[in-house]
Amino acid sequence: MPEQKNTWEWIADIYSQYHMILFEGMKMTILLGIFSIVFGVLIGTLVALLRISRYGIVRFVAAAYIDFLRSTPSIVQISLVWFGGTQLFPTIPAMFGLPSVFFYGVIALSLNSSAYVAEIMRAGIQSVDKGQMEAARSLGMPHRMAMRHIIMPQAVKTIIPALGNEFVVVMKETAVVSTIGVGELMYNAGIIRSITFRGLEPYLIIMIYYFVIVFTLSKLVGLLERRMRSSDRS
Amino acid sequence: MIEVKGLKKSYGKNQVLKGIDTSIAKGEVVVVIGPSGSGKSTFLRCLNLLEVPTAGEIVFDGQLLTSKGTNINKLRERMGMVFQHFNLFPHLRIIDNITLAPMKLKGMKREEARERALTLLRRIGLEDKAEAYPAQLSGGQKQRIAIVRALAMQPAVMLFDEPTSALDPEMVGEVLDVMKELAQEGMTMVVVTHEMGFAREVGDRVLFMDGGYIVEDAAPSQLFSNPQHPRTQEFLRKVL
Repeated sequence: MPEQKNTWEWIADIYSQYHMILFEGMKMTILLGIFSIVFGVLIGTLVALLRISRYGIVRFVAAAYIDFLRSTPSIVQISLVWFGGTQLFPTIPAMFGLPSVFFYGVIALSLNSSAYVAEIMRAGIQSVDKGQMEAARSLGMPHRMAMRHIIMPQAVKTIIPALGNEFVVVMKETAVVSTIGVGELMYNAGIIRSITFRGLEPYLIIMIYYFVIVFTLSKLVGLLERRMRSSDRS
Repeated sequence: MIEVKGLKKSYGKNQVLKGIDTSIAKGEVVVVIGPSGSGKSTFLRCLNLLEVPTAGEIVFDGQLLTSKGTNINKLRERMGMVFQHFNLFPHLRIIDNITLAPMKLKGMKREEARERALTLLRRIGLEDKAEAYPAQLSGGQKQRIAIVRALAMQPAVMLFDEPTSALDPEMVGEVLDVMKELAQEGMTMVVVTHEMGFAREVGDRVLFMDGGYIVEDAAPSQLFSNPQHPRTQEFLRKVL
């Protein structure tokens, strides 16, 4: 009488039978998140610098990039990068034990995140009082030196909390790349669902996984923030 | 030392400076007074190119600043500036506020920059604040530090943009005293201020600005006791 099991028994059952698949999915989710966050920050920083360039055309291009990515659904961007990317460009091979599609997922997620990161950084830089740049320049500092020694150290205090929030968002957003077949938690839960014909329990289980991952990340971010604040004596 | 010819500055359609001609000699203390919106701050900020003039020429030590090829940064190293809102760097200790520019721009060694900064701090009686952060200081202390920070670059000219306007009344004196001392040492100074007492006592010349022009230019004794222009008379009647 197989249908006599209740939800708790199903959860125990599925977990004991498929925890390897879940573990693989969790590894993939975390890797996706970390890669996307790192590249998102790198690309986003570059875009932010372009966004505040002294050349109007450069500013325009950066603003267009940001607006475009922020005004289209990430699931569409991901599909475009994967299906369009493999069609238009040579396919990225599987590397380091990671499947090809993983890298397309990272590209799409980090491009998407870079738009938000760029806006966070621009807002942070522009939140620093105008007088700070003037004072630095009046001492004879070139623009770049003033940025590095005067503006950026003050801007990070507004940037860090918002950036931490963005990391949390990206970590959750990784679930969307299941649509192109990256074997992360969400995708693997689908596999388990189709094997067991259970719709509830696999998702309950991965929800716990997600919660632990994202909650840990947001606590880490909070810790970093507090350390930043304690060093801020202004 | 500074020659200004036909200086004009517009923001869009709004012309703030309509043609300024004046010169500032070495060691001279020139005080600029006038109603708000008269263009006196804009004039001062044009001198070190924080505002780019729309037209006209500024010559500093024989060098034409308003030409394209001028190295603005080198020029600014020799023109210190003090702002109304101090603009100390809040993330740096006082000592680092003062030593950062000499170290980065003049290649001064840390120890040397530190020694010089401490000497300057001693002169204004704030040596004990070297390791403090700006937020821990009063407005008057901040402004005195800001003066010292500019002096650490050993400028030939000091520009003051309403240095006491953001201060509580009881702190105005300590800042003016530092400026007075500086003037007595022979520093060339251009001071935009509302402190008529300072203008009268310390200024070698007073420029009265109104509506984007220098309306009157005279020695303080002359300008305050016997103003020639009706606008100057009216202004002084209101403020004195």
